Amino acid sequence: MNPFNIREALLAKHAQHVVLIHFPIALCMVGVAFDFAAYWTKRSALATAAYYNFTVAAIFTVPVVATGLLAWQFQLEGEKLKGILLQHLVLGVISSVMICIVWYVHFRSRRALEQRLPRYCLAMELVVMALVAVTAHLGGYLTGVNVSA
Amino acid sequence: MRRSIAQQSRTARVLGTAILGAAAALSLSLASSVLRPSSVIAAQEKPGATVVTIDNFSFAPMQLEIPAGTEVTWINKDDVPHTVVSDDHKLFKSRALDTDEKFSFTFKDPGTYEYFCSVHPKMVGKIVVK
Repeated sequence: MNPFNIREALLAKHAQHVVLIHFPIALCMVGVAFDFAAYWTKRSALATAAYYNFTVAAIFTVPVVATGLLAWQFQLEGEKLKGILLQHLVLGVISSVMICIVWYVHFRSRRALEQRLPRYCLAMELVVMALVAVTAHLGGYLTGVNVSA
Repeated sequence: MRRSIAQQSRTARVLGTAILGAAAALSLSLASSVLRPSSVIAAQEKPGATVVTIDNFSFAPMQLEIPAGTEVTWINKDDVPHTVVSDDHKLFKSRALDTDEKFSFTFKDPGTYEYFCSVHPKMVGKIVVK
């Protein structure tokens, strides 16, 4: 397989999901870190950085969920899932929705006059982090990254 | 003072013995867990076997020679789901096999049949029917 052949790269089994998933995970983690830093230091620039991280993370959840669902359709022909595959799918969808909700809370708070992030949002971000971590763990387990070569 | 030194040396001896014992027990358990899989694989790689084991993200044996009309059974011994799909996607195709689930196919015609796991495309195998 030629790595510079666009067609071959795009049709390479279901590799896109595995590639794309790293973006929302990293952006979400950095967003949470910025939000906590903004809360402790009271610096609005950090809160702004968190907002943009969550914005891009929320945007990336769309292709990530889409490629995950396509992988299910193409590789397993949409068969009824069970076990780790089902857990990964359910947790992945919940995580994606939660990332979008966190972004929306940020979006709403930035449009308000006070521009202060509600405190419950930080707790929600920790829940999102836990969900993302478990989903990513299951995804890694499914792909076999824990298996020695 | 002398008594406390004697007590300390006795405590050190007891601790040392306990640590050595724990290390020995750990070594034994590790050795048994490391040795067990190789003996299992050796037993499954007997010539003429019609069972292909899926374990540690690979098919074992990776290549199998069988006479025409033989039924081959794949057993998933991994903790994650795998599939068994012929390269042409038509001849045979299993659903996602969970741990200890099986899939069987009878090879009637001579030839070379390559297959893979659609969840993990790097996992490949070959059946040579004579």
